[in-house]
Amino acid sequence: MFLKFSNISGLICIFCISVVTLMAFYGLIAFNQQGADLALLQDSYFHSILLFSIKQALLSAILSTVFAWPIARALYYCPKLYFKKSFLSLSLLCFVLPTLVLITGFVSLLGRSGIISPFLGEDWNLYGMQGILLAHVYMNLPFAVRAFHNQLQNIPDTSWILARQMKLNRWQKLCVIEWPALRSTISLVFGFITILCFNSFAVVLSLGGGPQSTTLEVAIYQALKYDFNIAEALTLAWTQFFIAGVFFVLLYRSNSVAWLAKDSNKKNSLPQISNTNKAFFTLLYSGAFCFMLLPLLALVPGLIATSYSLKLLANVFEALIMTLVLGSLVASIAMLIAYCIMLPIRSSLEFKKPHIKNTLQWFANHTLIAPAMVLSVGLYILFLPIMDLDALGMIFVVVLNVLMVLPFAIQQIRSRLIQFDHDYLVLSKSLKLSFWKNLSIEWPYIKPAILSTFSLVLLIAMGDVAIFSIFGNDNLKTLPWLIYQYAGSYRINEASFASAVLLGIYFIVLIKIERAQSHA
Amino acid sequence: MKKFTTLCLATLLSVNLFADDSAKKILTVYTYDSFVSDWGPGPKIKQAFEKDCQCTLNLIAEEDGVSILNRLKIEGKKVKADVILGLDHALMKDAKATGLIADHSQDLSSIKPSLNWQDSAFVPYDFGYFAFIYDSSKITTPATSLKQLIASDASIIYQDPRTSTPGQGLMFWINAVFKGDTNQAWRELAQHTVTVTKGWYEGYSMFLKGGSDYVLSYTTSPAYHMIVESESKYKAAAFSEGHIVQVEVAAALNTSPHPELAQSFLRFLLSDAAQTILPVTNWMLPVTNNTTLPEQFSKLISPKTLEIDIEELSNQRKQWIKDWRTNAVK
Repeated sequence: MFLKFSNISGLICIFCISVVTLMAFYGLIAFNQQGADLALLQDSYFHSILLFSIKQALLSAILSTVFAWPIARALYYCPKLYFKKSFLSLSLLCFVLPTLVLITGFVSLLGRSGIISPFLGEDWNLYGMQGILLAHVYMNLPFAVRAFHNQLQNIPDTSWILARQMKLNRWQKLCVIEWPALRSTISLVFGFITILCFNSFAVVLSLGGGPQSTTLEVAIYQALKYDFNIAEALTLAWTQFFIAGVFFVLLYRSNSVAWLAKDSNKKNSLPQISNTNKAFFTLLYSGAFCFMLLPLLALVPGLIATSYSLKLLANVFEALIMTLVLGSLVASIAMLIAYCIMLPIRSSLEFKKPHIKNTLQWFANHTLIAPAMVLSVGLYILFLPIMDLDALGMIFVVVLNVLMVLPFAIQQIRSRLIQFDHDYLVLSKSLKLSFWKNLSIEWPYIKPAILSTFSLVLLIAMGDVAIFSIFGNDNLKTLPWLIYQYAGSYRINEASFASAVLLGIYFIVLIKIERAQSHA
Repeated sequence: MKKFTTLCLATLLSVNLFADDSAKKILTVYTYDSFVSDWGPGPKIKQAFEKDCQCTLNLIAEEDGVSILNRLKIEGKKVKADVILGLDHALMKDAKATGLIADHSQDLSSIKPSLNWQDSAFVPYDFGYFAFIYDSSKITTPATSLKQLIASDASIIYQDPRTSTPGQGLMFWINAVFKGDTNQAWRELAQHTVTVTKGWYEGYSMFLKGGSDYVLSYTTSPAYHMIVESESKYKAAAFSEGHIVQVEVAAALNTSPHPELAQSFLRFLLSDAAQTILPVTNWMLPVTNNTTLPEQFSKLISPKTLEIDIEELSNQRKQWIKDWRTNAVK
């Protein structure tokens, strides 16, 4: 039963994405017929970047989860906070914001001539560990807030009623009701953020401030990019693959984090909180709001200083269309593949085969931990001598971006699909519905999750620069690439205008996501 | 019927002839990204060269000079380009090691004697001096030597020597000036470094937003601000030890099916037409004597050249980078 047609399509998808990764590694290894440079493992430089990668990843994850927790509680206990909806949308924006835009915002806010910098004392310097942590927390804390808030929302009203009847005190409520609801999500969110930050590239490269702040991914870039030292890059890549893989296996065995799920059922029996608590929560909430808004507002002065010309507007418009077309293509393919990949995973759940499920999940999500730089450069080396990459490079831009966003797509639709099976699988089995008939019943149930996930991966794919810089075509520029080019040739104000346009589009798509969810 | 056949044949023939005539030769050039951008030299160079060459100039952009070299290494004999344009002279040795670089047959007599150009394969097309740029409305007495700057507490942004050619230039510069005390110099510099950026533009744009007192760039950077923005407050600091020169070079490849066309492109790069385009689009200095430049260029500093041995640089580079990455930390 396991090997039916629909499952095979998913297995083929998993096989294909794994083959792409294998080809990339093969490209690197076959190029000069040598494997990893093992002598590097003894080098003190290697030890220091390894330690630094792990240290900054763990610190970022700890800070994000620790601060997210009280903020999520504030959102939960004070349902009538002002602009709560906008706050949640903004949280999503922080997570998908192209790092290019984020860093510009941070620099104009906290750089040496930043707006806030004078209040931070003489010794303040954005660049270094503090800058990296700030940016990582900025991107991941809101993600954690959403996930925790969602989880708290799932506490049934009856628990609170029972707590009231049993006269539980605050501490007991925390231990007996809140903690069990959050526990598994906290470890998952923590692990997810750790992996993202461990593989962090653009942030570390721009805010690291010197050779003391180098992560494995940055070191891979430098080894491949400048020295073309493939052996060294391979050692670094295997190390990163191995460590991130261990994180992954440790933390991804349980359910996915349902942080995109809609703000569900109305709460009627929330415990009353004291006025001091309310004031504290409001203060915390406002603080978080400011933290998330300020780097975006800091982009405004650049907008005013831009000298607008028709040429600029035409360039930006053209690049914008290209970005949307490319992003939609990537997102559509990724959604289709994600759905197919989930078919055998759901079957393995149905037949209670956890080992098959875990293996499939690992392969399906492996691009989350594979070094992106290795994938792109490996394919580049492999295909450059055999095909015309100057003309056909855009195919690789699409393929690689699909690979990059796929883990996010799978993660987001997974829980909804499993939920569906949980509720209706027995019924649909007993009715002996065909695959297509089943799909037509499933569709209304999963549609909101599919749509919001589509928008999410669209946004992530739209922000890509790294892959485009290797395979992109100069006649088909995307908006992030145009920003890069403007900034690279003294045209700083034009770059901030283009960034603002990109940000505007992100806002529009985000509002659509939230609409899709509230209609669900 | 016969008439009809003749007509058909004639039409076919003429179409063929026409097709032959329009099948112009294509000269493919690998270059770097900022060269081909709308405001870079690419579009003007293409227009000027195509006017006389009966050919199509196909510019293919890589990210930067190093990427061009890496592409040569990957493609080997299958390389698509006839010409590469945009390596700097520190990369020439590595490029020649690919065995793909053809000798040029150019008359180099018009090249400035100060460049002392001897290479038989690469043709220089522009050059610049690395320099620290400052805002003269904020700094009235700038540093007058590299030693003074490094000993000072002025905030500095420079580029990573592993990923950017100006950063590598600074590494050569510091090694040439400090010799045995280089490690100490890196440590001192790190104390007042704001950040080390991946590429030139990240650093330079941070500086323009007030990110530091000095930024590593070229002596010609102020010309951009004077000519495009009519802004004269940005200046390059002249250092008494002399400045390191960066020469940008081009070469024909020996795999090219049109070696003559490739050579004519190299000749064109040294022509007045190209040499007057490059300074105001690539913001570097012309390599030939007697090129007419906008008057703003006369306001730039004309620094003393600090001679360095390219052969030694190529051999030492790896060790120097190791020294940098262990010492340039706070």
